[in-house]
Amino acid sequence: MASVIEVKNLTKQFGKFKALSGVDLAVEKGEVMAFLGPNGAGKTTTIRVLLGILRASSGSVKVFGKDAWDHAVELHKRIAFVPGDVNLWPNLTGGEVIDLFTSFQGGKHSGERHRERFIKMFNLDPTKKCRTYSKGNRQKVALISALASNAELFILDEPTSGLDPLMLKTFEDCILELKKEGKSVLLSSHILGEVDKLADHVTIIREGRVVKTGSMTEIKKAAHGKSLEDVFLSEYEDQK
Amino acid sequence: MIRYLLFILRRERLMTPIWIASLLAASIGIAIAFQQLFATPEDMRVMAETLANPAMQALIGPTYGIDSLTPAMLMAQELLIFMIITVAIFNIFLVIRHTRTDEEQGRLEMLRALPIGRLTNPAATLLFAFKANLAITLAIALGLIATNMDGMQVCGAFIYAGSIGASGFLFASIALLMAQLFSTSRGALSGSFALMGVFYIARAFGDMSGNILSYISPMGLGLRVYSFYDNIAWPILVLFVQAIIIGGIALLVCRNRDLGEGIIPASKGRRHASRFLQTPFGLAWNLSKGNFLAWTIGLFALGATYGAVIGDIAEFVQTNEMFQTLLGLGQGDLITYQVVESFISMILVVMAMVAAIPVVIIANKIRSEEKQGRIEPIFARAIRRRSLLATYTIIAAFGSAWFIFITALGLYAGGANTGLLNFSNIVHIALFYVPAILVMLGMAVFLVGFLPKLTSLVWVIFGYSFLTVYFGSLLGLPEWMDRLSPFGYHPDLEASGFVTMPFIVLSTTAIALILMGFQAYRSRDLVG
Repeated sequence: MASVIEVKNLTKQFGKFKALSGVDLAVEKGEVMAFLGPNGAGKTTTIRVLLGILRASSGSVKVFGKDAWDHAVELHKRIAFVPGDVNLWPNLTGGEVIDLFTSFQGGKHSGERHRERFIKMFNLDPTKKCRTYSKGNRQKVALISALASNAELFILDEPTSGLDPLMLKTFEDCILELKKEGKSVLLSSHILGEVDKLADHVTIIREGRVVKTGSMTEIKKAAHGKSLEDVFLSEYEDQK
Repeated sequence: MIRYLLFILRRERLMTPIWIASLLAASIGIAIAFQQLFATPEDMRVMAETLANPAMQALIGPTYGIDSLTPAMLMAQELLIFMIITVAIFNIFLVIRHTRTDEEQGRLEMLRALPIGRLTNPAATLLFAFKANLAITLAIALGLIATNMDGMQVCGAFIYAGSIGASGFLFASIALLMAQLFSTSRGALSGSFALMGVFYIARAFGDMSGNILSYISPMGLGLRVYSFYDNIAWPILVLFVQAIIIGGIALLVCRNRDLGEGIIPASKGRRHASRFLQTPFGLAWNLSKGNFLAWTIGLFALGATYGAVIGDIAEFVQTNEMFQTLLGLGQGDLITYQVVESFISMILVVMAMVAAIPVVIIANKIRSEEKQGRIEPIFARAIRRRSLLATYTIIAAFGSAWFIFITALGLYAGGANTGLLNFSNIVHIALFYVPAILVMLGMAVFLVGFLPKLTSLVWVIFGYSFLTVYFGSLLGLPEWMDRLSPFGYHPDLEASGFVTMPFIVLSTTAIALILMGFQAYRSRDLVG
């Protein structure tokens, strides 16, 4: 069976600057893939290529077996996306934005009940205008819209950077629930505790190249008793 | 697509209707005013003669129909270019707001991650702009027909309004293209407005010397409909086709570019802050200098434009009763310096109001920084509130003298060749209005201190001043209404002394307002 995400030898050039040079990435159905790397490593660029909003300079980028650029619209019906830096329209309310995203998502969405459930879970007041929301609350709006959708693949780019510990727990529960439902998740994150709890596989990227990839158990085994933090720190630091 | 259109409509449910309603109200109001102003053929003939010289044509475009004047025709001649400019501004802001601004803020990224086509955002925006311009066209046409002023024709009204709508739509397309070329909304806005300025100037030269430039510039083309007279429709069609072509190019560019990128790359900045930038004053200046420079150029150009028409105007004034009343001259007063100087002081008071706009904008900058949450990190450092407010106030106060001086300089430069202007007199009159501008600055600082949520109230005073100064003597408003505005005090041209009573009163008022504003700013909460 084809992978949900299959990226092979992806490069992306911005003028003279090479943001990605030969990235490989595979996410299978029903797994959570943690996507790690220092700031500026190319995580967000990779994700944008996956979403078909940046065009790959070379390499193959397939989602559900189809080219991410050519079939963007069709694929997006099955994808939910949460950016790390959520900016919303200041004069719309949170509830309006959630409905808007759901309506744009099209297809069969999970309905009012689902939406209300997540709003309650994340403790969001949907009647407030987005201009009054804090960073965390704007992020909740994006998360609720994504979770309430019927997507099969969730692409999350540092989705929790503004959430409080309680909400972080809620988020983790939601991701585990998605996993149980057989959905796939690509999770870019800097929060190692979160990665430890959720991820099945890990890919670490640095300066536009994949420097480590493997299953969580493999990585833990190879660590020889070192903490996860130390493993990642050494990946971030060495080879200088 | 329809969903996206509804989404734009939802976000525009206030802005666009307000614009359309204001355009409609202005059109009807001015139509009624023209009907009353030009009651007799003699009045119209006099006005038409004012317009029929190269200098005025450079300002407002071609004049026509001297043989069969109607108020409607005069209105169209004088107003069409301003309507086109206004609607162009509306369209530029509208399109950039929904395209590059959304993209820059990262909102478009979230939308594009949904099953939405690459072109949905620009195409829906353009479609919305088309509909908005259609609504403007219909509103103005029907509104004008409803006034039933002399010379009103159904066909003429639609031609007039159609030219406005088609020009608006063309500028929507231009803005869409600029939104593709520049990677920031600021760049796209500047690019669009710069092009609009080029079109206006090209048209001015074309109309002055009657050459092809008038047809090449879309703004000149829009004026070639000769509404309420010849009622020529093809320029509207050409504008529309141009809009479609440019819009098509914009969509093509959009389809082939990455999200967040422009064709013209954003330039890199410096690694370190200069010594100067590291001071509060340096920061405030850095944030204001763009404004400062743009207004300096604009006001100089505005002054020069008026200066260029001064010879013709002076000649005209001595034969026109209405203008003599306006300038407060007795019948039969001699032309020469006196008339010219009265005229200059009339221009300068209007200029002073315009020159006060950047001053107030700079003073309000501290408030807009506060709203954006960028002032908190500054006050979290060892910076006093009053010293930060003082830096903005000092820059704005310097601007109070600078902007009006630059305008006067432009006026002199534009009209020097007529030999009618005396430089020191112009500067003398110009500087007389500095205290009035300082009062506006004082109002702004006062509001920043006391009513931070209502800083826009200062624009109400502007509106009032424009009304009384512009129409006060024409409409016969009582003098006290004029005196309520800081711009209601004029220099006594005969008096030799500079420091007169109003000068002292206005300066004192300005200082008092500023001091009160400072006091309040020190002790109020910062509000987002």
